[in-house]
Amino acid sequence: MGDVALSVRGLRLYYGTRKGVVRAVDNVSFDLRRGETLAVVGESGCGKSSLARAIIRLLPRNVHTYEGQIILDGQDVMKLSDEEFRRSVQWTRISMVFQGAQNSLNPVLKVGFQIAEPLMIHKGMPKEEALAEARKYLRMVGVHESFADRYPFELSGGMKQRAVIAMALIARPQVVILDEPTSALDVITQANIMNLLKTIRSEWGLSYIFITHDIALSSELADKVAVMYAGQIVELAGADEFYTNPQHPYAQKLMASVPSLRADKKLEFIPGAPPSLINPPPGCRFHPRCPYAMDVCRRQEPPEVEVKSGHVVKCWLYAKGG
Amino acid sequence: MAGEALLRVENLSKWFEVRRGLLAPPLTLRAVDGVNFELARGEAVSLVGESGSGKTTLGKTVLRLYEPTSGRIVFKGKDVTKLDGKELLWYRRETGLVQQDPYGAMPSFMTVYRILEEPLIIHKVGTREERREMVFKALEEVRLTPVEDFAFKYPHMLSGGQLQRVAIARALILRPSFVVADEPVSMLDASVRVEILTLMRELQEKLGISFIYITHDLSTTRYFSERIFIMYAGHIVEKAPSKELVREPLHPYSQALINAIPDPDPENRKRLRNVPPGEPPSLINPPPGCRFHPRCPYAMDVCRRQEPPEVEVKSGHVVKCWLYAKG
Repeated sequence: MGDVALSVRGLRLYYGTRKGVVRAVDNVSFDLRRGETLAVVGESGCGKSSLARAIIRLLPRNVHTYEGQIILDGQDVMKLSDEEFRRSVQWTRISMVFQGAQNSLNPVLKVGFQIAEPLMIHKGMPKEEALAEARKYLRMVGVHESFADRYPFELSGGMKQRAVIAMALIARPQVVILDEPTSALDVITQANIMNLLKTIRSEWGLSYIFITHDIALSSELADKVAVMYAGQIVELAGADEFYTNPQHPYAQKLMASVPSLRADKKLEFIPGAPPSLINPPPGCRFHPRCPYAMDVCRRQEPPEVEVKSGHVVKCWLYAKGG
Repeated sequence: MAGEALLRVENLSKWFEVRRGLLAPPLTLRAVDGVNFELARGEAVSLVGESGSGKTTLGKTVLRLYEPTSGRIVFKGKDVTKLDGKELLWYRRETGLVQQDPYGAMPSFMTVYRILEEPLIIHKVGTREERREMVFKALEEVRLTPVEDFAFKYPHMLSGGQLQRVAIARALILRPSFVVADEPVSMLDASVRVEILTLMRELQEKLGISFIYITHDLSTTRYFSERIFIMYAGHIVEKAPSKELVREPLHPYSQALINAIPDPDPENRKRLRNVPPGEPPSLINPPPGCRFHPRCPYAMDVCRRQEPPEVEVKSGHVVKCWLYAKG
């Protein structure tokens, strides 16, 4: 484990739309140690992918607010200009595997060239050298290097996914963001990709931020879990704590709605839908769906309470004297 | 399996021709290849397989939305494989389909009311007033209440979950005895999935409808069906009661599938999963013998040469694998 690789403090990303300001990421903070994986879980529309984009600074045009601190190896990279960030951070220190990655490959470029691109663009490596590296990385992720000379349509879904992982790793980043890295893959292929990600992590000491809506899948990689709801982290805990004993009512409900293949348990669901991020409910954003909602929850935003060392819950139920 | 079979499928195949150009001879894609099963009255079965395994084709062929290439479909004692005209209309009325994508499955220019009334009009059911009552009752059944609020909305005004409720209401409004639900929740949010599946299960039990629930998600099947069929590369490779299949899978492919699925457990991160490498074969040129043999850890000589037989290992537990064949 060791020291902190990435520290995020008070990160905000709001989008300006015609209907109003969308508070997609609203005051998010966490630490990520070297070799550690943070899983970010929650329903769709709770800001998970926006959080990823805010960290790697791949932003749409309609950004309204983008502020906070992103401290990478002791340096606040939020202070860098876009150009400096692109040159010295993006892809070389933080990289990302996108959602639906199989479709993020360019259909008219050879696979090897696309894997090599980060080296040429972000590290200025000569083409021949970069292509040789691409073959090496392709082999490392378990695809025969001859596929470097093929086009994406000639690869199966699982192979494309591996190629995209090679692309994210080739510039040797310390932090890799995995945004639903196995969506649209079959379960056996998914398990194979998870095995690959585990092996790479333990060999390289990489840190992952693993974004998924699938709680069961999150436990494949997570050392630590952050539960997001309506743009905020409502619970942050170590994996051993979280999967056995979630504390926030939302996290508990989410866990109860996970179908289990092996254990006999009754399935539950969370009535209602996540709130609009334009006009989130006052107080605690989960209160309209919370079975324990009290008066204070409707009026005041809950504090972050450390219920145990390293286990933080943003909920009035755990506040002293609350 | 209780009582007589409502549906019996014998050696059913559906092959597609794939054209490669004007002059090249077409190739044959064997999407469903020699499938056998029975479905009892009021029974719910899950048909589980990866994408491209042929499960949707099987569902649509059984409903006669695709013409079978060969084999027989017997429904209520009647051979429906070759029905047409009025008699096919009867089969249509007896069956229903819920599709994966509720947005694509609904005409965008019709109100919910009109969408639900359409099958009643086609099958000449009731007077205008009676139909109105039936539509409102159907909306109530799927809990889109107050019904007046939903009846006159257009599909784009509803959420995915609400729209899938409309799709379920439409499939059930003629009170069919057999419904295929093809990945009915895979496009919905995780938290809504359980809600929709629970609703479907309740209605299925209440109305005594036989159900085939097509899914790639094995973990939900146990809750919503009595039996599970596992499909691989156009074949059903294992049929068993749901709990038994999950507890004691016999086919090496079923075993791999179950090994691949995590339950939330902090220990998961410390171990690698025991799953076979590779991906399912092409259905244009499937491997000879058992179609799983290139990925199977137990593959023997015979598996490479000859298609495995279906072996009933225990009462009601059938597996298509040489490992269990006598001799």
